[in-house]
Amino acid sequence: MNVRDLHDQDFDGPEPPSADLLAGEYVLGVLDAETRRAVQRRIEHDPGFARLVIDWEHRLSSLTDTGSLTDVPPHLWPRIRSRLGWPAVDSSNETARTGLWQSTGFWRAATGLAAAAALAAIVIGPMGLLRDDALPGSGPGPIAVEPTPPTPAVEDPSAPKPVTTLAHDDGSPGWLASVDQDKGTVLMVPVPSPADAEGRVPELWLIPPGGTAKSLGIVSIDRSHTVKVPDTLRDALAKGALLAITLEPVGGAPRGVATGPIIAKGAIVTL
Amino acid sequence: MPDLRTDNTAQDPSGLDALLVEVAGGSRNAFESLYRATSSKLLSVCIRVLSDRTEAEDVLQEVFTTIWHKAHQFDATRASPIAWLAMIARNKAIDRLRAQPARGVLAPIEFADDIADSGATPLQTAVSADERARLEACMSQLDARRQSLIRAAFFDGSTYEELAQRIASPLGSVKSWIRRGLLQLRGCLES
Repeated sequence: MNVRDLHDQDFDGPEPPSADLLAGEYVLGVLDAETRRAVQRRIEHDPGFARLVIDWEHRLSSLTDTGSLTDVPPHLWPRIRSRLGWPAVDSSNETARTGLWQSTGFWRAATGLAAAAALAAIVIGPMGLLRDDALPGSGPGPIAVEPTPPTPAVEDPSAPKPVTTLAHDDGSPGWLASVDQDKGTVLMVPVPSPADAEGRVPELWLIPPGGTAKSLGIVSIDRSHTVKVPDTLRDALAKGALLAITLEPVGGAPRGVATGPIIAKGAIVTL
Repeated sequence: MPDLRTDNTAQDPSGLDALLVEVAGGSRNAFESLYRATSSKLLSVCIRVLSDRTEAEDVLQEVFTTIWHKAHQFDATRASPIAWLAMIARNKAIDRLRAQPARGVLAPIEFADDIADSGATPLQTAVSADERARLEACMSQLDARRQSLIRAAFFDGSTYEELAQRIASPLGSVKSWIRRGLLQLRGCLES
């Protein structure tokens, strides 16, 4: 096919255009349903034509606006897994190392009962064990934590603080946050996870009901640490506020405005 | 600021190509990472075409099952990973669009001489800046009408018929403008 010798009918006549132009039209997206289906069948059966399509995709791909981001609802990921014939929730051996961390029973126990101190102890303490894969991968058993009776939210300043789970869209926990309003601190305990493929870093935000997100800084994906909440935001650190994590460029969100997707979030229910 | 360990991803700012290779090898973990890293962008691409969030979310599921099955076709020497993924999302979204009853009245297309660059956010860096700059340079050589039509077609997935309606011009003329524009683009990009 020599597209250099195109005649005018190739442009506006009723005749079908050259294969190359047809491939370009397909990639551009201007073909009607019927022609589009015909082109897709041709792609399947005509490698030369498929090549032309790939060439056009390559030429036009940078027109795509990949800068926009939209919140993805949490139910999509389990559905995609189901479509692929996988269990809706990952319980495969492949994630044995993190299996325990994603066990609902474990987290229900942890978030419901365990105090931040105890959590810090089990999360930080056996980190070495975890790295050595010495933890029982599949056992949902609540490791060695004696379930502490629920602590009424009361006066004792040394009392363990309830834990807010910052969950991913699929419901799996990403971070545990233990909020201490008196001290104005949030102890962040990450559930070990891979770093962002694009090299972005997680940033913590405090979002008061009806308010705008205020940055609390970058958080770690693999170490527990305490985040100091600025005095001006102390009051916002209250029941009903949302803690959320977005992915931001290294160094944090430019101008204090989140640019990346929310990857985990949780509401402060009790203090 | 606490002592944060930063992963050494600097040399491979996207890392998506490595993930795609792992996905092609059957790694479900890599697939989940890929989903976490790109689903938000790809949903935006679907919404842009479909103008309907529910439809777009449904299509996004097809997009990712397709990615799982086609990851082995990704050729890092020919396309940036995010561009390749976005192209799959666009294709699936346009397929869905074509399966629907005809859209109502679409917005008219403005023939602006200087068309705003709609994608230049910091996150755009995922698509090779060089390629984008080259394509933009070539686009800018098209006359305003061809350029606007090609952008409108690409962004919204409008058919020739819809485009003709949107600019109140004969179908034949619209085809002619777009086809000439495409060839002009190709010539420029290959020069």
